[in-house]
Amino acid sequence: MKKPYLFDDFFASGMEESISPFLTKDSRAYAKNLSLKSALLASFFLAISYCFSFYFPSLSHLFLAFVYFLAGIPSLIDALEDLKNFEIHIDLLMTFAAFSALFLGSGFEGALLLVLFELSHGLEESVMKKAKTTLLSLQKISPRSVKLVLKDGSYVERSIRDVQVKDHLLVPVGEIIPLDGKIISGSSFVDLQQITGEFLPLFKNPGDVVVAGSRNIEAMLVIEVARVSHDSTLTQLMKLISSASDQKPKLEKAIDRITKTYSSLIILTTFLLAIFLPLFFHEIAYLGKEGSIYRSLAFLIAASPCALILSAPIAYLSAISSAAKKGILFKTKEVLDQIAKCKMVAFDKTGTLTEGKLDLQEIYSLHQEGALITKEELSIAYGLELHSTHPIAHAIINLAKKEKLEPTSVHQFRLIPGIGLEGSYQGKSVFIGHPEKALSFPLFFEVMEKCKGKVLAVLIIQEKAYLFSFEDRLRKEIAQSIDQIRQKKIKTVMLTGDFEHNAKKIANFLGIEEVYAGLLPEQKLSLVETLSKKEHLIMIGDGINDAAALKRASVGICMGKIGSRLAIDASDVVFLNDDLHHLPWLLDKGKETIQIIRQNLTLSLSFILIATIPSLLGLIPLWLAVILHEGGTLLVGLNSLRLLKK
Amino acid sequence: MTNDHFQGKKAFEHLIDARLKGKIASSEIHGVELAGHYSAGADAAKETTFLFLVLLIVLQKIGVSNSLLHPAIFSLFFGFLFWKTGRSALLGYTRLNRLHRLIEEERYEIEHHRPQEKEELKALYEAKGIKGKLLDDLIDHLMADDDRLLQVMLEEELGLRIESFEHPLKQALGAFLGVLGTLTILSLSDLLLPHLATCFIGFCIIATSSITVAHFEKNRALPSLIWNLGVFILAILIPYLLLSQ
Repeated sequence: MKKPYLFDDFFASGMEESISPFLTKDSRAYAKNLSLKSALLASFFLAISYCFSFYFPSLSHLFLAFVYFLAGIPSLIDALEDLKNFEIHIDLLMTFAAFSALFLGSGFEGALLLVLFELSHGLEESVMKKAKTTLLSLQKISPRSVKLVLKDGSYVERSIRDVQVKDHLLVPVGEIIPLDGKIISGSSFVDLQQITGEFLPLFKNPGDVVVAGSRNIEAMLVIEVARVSHDSTLTQLMKLISSASDQKPKLEKAIDRITKTYSSLIILTTFLLAIFLPLFFHEIAYLGKEGSIYRSLAFLIAASPCALILSAPIAYLSAISSAAKKGILFKTKEVLDQIAKCKMVAFDKTGTLTEGKLDLQEIYSLHQEGALITKEELSIAYGLELHSTHPIAHAIINLAKKEKLEPTSVHQFRLIPGIGLEGSYQGKSVFIGHPEKALSFPLFFEVMEKCKGKVLAVLIIQEKAYLFSFEDRLRKEIAQSIDQIRQKKIKTVMLTGDFEHNAKKIANFLGIEEVYAGLLPEQKLSLVETLSKKEHLIMIGDGINDAAALKRASVGICMGKIGSRLAIDASDVVFLNDDLHHLPWLLDKGKETIQIIRQNLTLSLSFILIATIPSLLGLIPLWLAVILHEGGTLLVGLNSLRLLKK
Repeated sequence: MTNDHFQGKKAFEHLIDARLKGKIASSEIHGVELAGHYSAGADAAKETTFLFLVLLIVLQKIGVSNSLLHPAIFSLFFGFLFWKTGRSALLGYTRLNRLHRLIEEERYEIEHHRPQEKEELKALYEAKGIKGKLLDDLIDHLMADDDRLLQVMLEEELGLRIESFEHPLKQALGAFLGVLGTLTILSLSDLLLPHLATCFIGFCIIATSSITVAHFEKNRALPSLIWNLGVFILAILIPYLLLSQ
């Protein structure tokens, strides 16, 4: 059987005919940008009609009829749909104006209005499609079937929908990992480029977590499923992108609401002006009965809020689309408004300012001078850290694996957010985490003095304690990014649970203005809340400790770590490629978006004001009202498209 | 097993209904046009030829002068050109929308009624003589990939074929060229040659379009040619002889 057609693309596009599964591949090109093509053809016919009007009036009318057919029928259908639903939208205003103009003998002006209206529709459609591109590219890599490993070791092909948590799946070389899970057997390089943009493949061993959508590139793997299809990271990312395009921010909703009422008022005013204006001003030239409908029509066109309606949506979509190209995803469009207001950026330290790839420097004994950690004790640390996603946990797990140790099974396990992990092993209480837990041990202060500036974790096993000292590297280009943020007059802050000395050392090096160190999660949370109220705070973090703070900040930005569902759920923005040097760009983009929306609103209102009153007085002919109105709409659309720029 | 999904019918009865639904969806409402730009073009050529010759005969019989005859025919045929092209596109769009509705319904069934879809599939292949483990393996294999399953259900249950229709506008372009080409040939012939030659050229157009359609539909060319010419001659003779009374 030939390879099945990928129907998901078709459904994700909203059943677009340009990728309809029923159409032959060759003929699908006919459906691409149909609205734009139709508008261009209509404008060509309008030009011919105008040329013929001087010599062959009948032929001119014939071509004009074609213009009304090509550009008028789509608007007429939309307008009648609106009427059927008792709604007054811009389609209704435009169609009413264009067809009324035809009956008043101003067919050209009506046709011009329809052509320009159709052109702006075509442009809007193509921007919407661009915004959906990221979603479609993720959809394409999403596998539909899996190789399910049976108890006897053989495998069968199953739909991804039929897979359950804990099922074992075979992932051959070169194939996409279908669901989030843990490697059960095999070691291989895994390429995350399609998901995160991370260029270098990562080496994964048994026990490591792998993410749906990454590609297995070296050896066959067997994974245990951790999350089913509708819950996988890939699906979450797709939902994130589609929800950002669908949800309307407050500003857009407000514009929609206002324009609905405004459109109804305009239609009512048009009728009133057509009927009553000549009654009062019939003695003044140009304002009498003659031409009153013509003037009202010019007023209707000039006052129609086409440009106003387009002021926000194209700008938001262009900004989202441009950010998606850099691997930045938004949960809602409204985030852009929040980013624009931001006056302070707060960074978590480990994993955000630093790479979070810790190198072990030394293990010190805190209970007895010179005592070395045993393999059994290291296995306990391994057993505890298996439950954490913190960079320290990764470093300790890697150390234990290097020593070829197996994790010890720890009972009564408990995670204390921001502090560490505790449990019991063979009746002894065990803990790994924040060094301050080991304050009571005799060598604590002496060792801490030696370890200034290092990342530290303490392992306590009843009466014994060991201090792990790690070196962490700062992210490349982080200093430059922070410098750029400061130049924008945005305050930078560090929020960390680490010791003040360590935090200040890094902050001074990077030029971070304020440091809040030694914070417990609840302290961090209340600080984020206070700063958000005061300064409109952007919080950037990565791990489990930051989830609540990310949620509480005005804008929560999650640093990559796409395996962490909690972080994705809690944040408003996801930096897929873990690259903070896009942060200054994002801050600019937020401000630029709001600026462009403001410019659009000013432009569209100015066009309405400039054209409305003169058109009422008969000073502006219908064709000029059309040009002013549609010119404004086109200008607003093109102004918004500037946000697509990198 | 009967339930709401099968609307009180057995799985196999449901399959028969579904196939019928597919057949209706894939055909044009009036049955005038066949799918594809070639068929649309050939059909348009035949209709144009018939109308042109009938009009020529009728207008001459009722004594319309030559100075009015040609402008009347041309104006009428430019209208017909647009009518035929527009209708072809509209019929194509109607079919495409119906097919899109069907595929959406089928996808919903696959996502929400997997056990019933499995049963339908089983009934379908059981009817083809596949049984036992082979049947189970086949069903498991087909159910493993939703894209493949949707394609199989469209093809086997609804009797549809994917990637087999031309875009409505391409089909309309075929109709447009069919009318325009035929009109150009017949007009030139009528202006430059005697009426009898125009009739002969009309026969040739009907013959060529009939053979082309037969070729693409893999039908026998000769019966198709003779039947089409027979219908054409009779249709022309009816107004000619009636007006000759």
